Amino acid sequence: MNAIEVSGLAKKYGRFEALRGVDLSVGRGEVFGLVGPNGAGKTTLIKALVGALRPSGGGVRVMGLNPLQDRAELRRRIGYMPQGPALYDDLSARGNIAFFGAAHRTENLRKRVDEVLQFTDLSERADDPVHTFSGGMKRRVSLACALVHGPEVIFLDEPTAAVDPQLRSRFWKTFRELAGSGTTLFISTHLMDEAVLCDRIAILRQGGLIATDTPGSIIERGETHLVVERDGSEEKETIGGRPEDLAAALRPYGLQRDVTAVDVETDTLEAVVLSLIEREEVG
Amino acid sequence: MRRTFIIAGRVVRQLVRNPRLLVLSVAAPLVIVYFLKVFFDTLPPTFDVARYAVPVAAFVVHFLAFLLCAIALVQERTMGTMERMFINGFRRTEVIAGYVLGFLGLATFQAVAGLAEAIWLFELDYDGETLVMLFVVVWLLAIASVMLGIFISTFARHEGQVFPFVPLIILPSVFLSGLLVDVDELPTWADWLGHVFPLFWANDVIQDLIASGWTFDDVQRSLAVLAGYSVVLLLLASRTLREVE
Repeated sequence: MNAIEVSGLAKKYGRFEALRGVDLSVGRGEVFGLVGPNGAGKTTLIKALVGALRPSGGGVRVMGLNPLQDRAELRRRIGYMPQGPALYDDLSARGNIAFFGAAHRTENLRKRVDEVLQFTDLSERADDPVHTFSGGMKRRVSLACALVHGPEVIFLDEPTAAVDPQLRSRFWKTFRELAGSGTTLFISTHLMDEAVLCDRIAILRQGGLIATDTPGSIIERGETHLVVERDGSEEKETIGGRPEDLAAALRPYGLQRDVTAVDVETDTLEAVVLSLIEREEVG
Repeated sequence: MRRTFIIAGRVVRQLVRNPRLLVLSVAAPLVIVYFLKVFFDTLPPTFDVARYAVPVAAFVVHFLAFLLCAIALVQERTMGTMERMFINGFRRTEVIAGYVLGFLGLATFQAVAGLAEAIWLFELDYDGETLVMLFVVVWLLAIASVMLGIFISTFARHEGQVFPFVPLIILPSVFLSGLLVDVDELPTWADWLGHVFPLFWANDVIQDLIASGWTFDDVQRSLAVLAGYSVVLLLLASRTLREVE
């Protein structure tokens, strides 16, 4: 059984379609990325998966459970880190984590709170009020709140938005450790250098999925360009990805003296995703 | 039930750790009642201070308990903690009951402080039984105010949307609840409209209590209506607070 199964999921707000028949499945222990520009419907999709939003159509199963009908059972088994901090500023990091952990009848709650504080590197500031924390530290407290009850599936809505590169790298180390222990992670992001770290990604545009694959396979859909610098100006042409395509492309130049530099560029994930989105818009 | 106490405990911890809120909620009624004393001192000695002192103190408690509770709950929504509570498994009845319990302590403290100051400043002389009943009625009004705050908060998406309810609900009650003039002197429609406000029933009990020779039979109906307000508002709020968008 997959951790997440979504079929034909739709959500309408009046005449506006926030989600248009989304289909996807996520395996257990997978790190799944939901990629798309702002307003693509990423948060709406996550809210439908955690049971905070009633879909207009289609079906959702998380660990085989319906998020609305099996709410009590499901909420013990999932963790959710929203886009904003969603913390009590007057309370300490420990107070926040213990409060959300207590909702789930977490066994040995005190010990679990200490463990997640250590896991998110917050032990030293555990008893300080959250309003004295930096934005990055608040994100760590928020992550700890989502982890405290040991969920099997964790939904993270843009967890590293506005986070410095060092902390982002630390977050991803944490995500990989969690996935290594069998936890499924469903992560929304608009950062491509982050999407490339996922096992699989789905690209969402205007409420509809336009591709679901591994980041490597999606990059392969991109193009290779030959860039030749000649007499100080740059010429760029698209070539095939095979070595003989490169040789054929270089042949006309014959490596004349005025060719001062030759480079081969392949599209980044960001370029491929953008071209897929643009192609969808034109189509 | 366990989760209700968890929420109540958290609400109390937040109140205790927020000195500005505590000062506003406890000191503000005291300061306002003192201003009332300064104002009444300018009136002729024949002016019946007792008729107004306790009802006005009750109104101040009513207003602040409503406003603080409504804003605290709306903040939960704007901060995203309300949604997080629901996704973490708290139910709406637990959230509402937790808030009621959490604010009950504050409402009690406000009722005791406001009433004690009014009696001391205005040198009112009531027997022990009357004092206990005055406290009970102000306390019941404070609870109804907390319930009203919870109910109104379910219609507001941010703090600013709470304030239009002040001129809609709180201010009319000043004029139509018998606080300033006897409701018998108002047009019939205004008299009936006054019955809608919890302050009307609280004032009705207070006027009976401060008149000499009251019996429990005189006040039990209005007390029951006041308690009924809390129950009805609790039921309404538990229907209007949405767990799922």
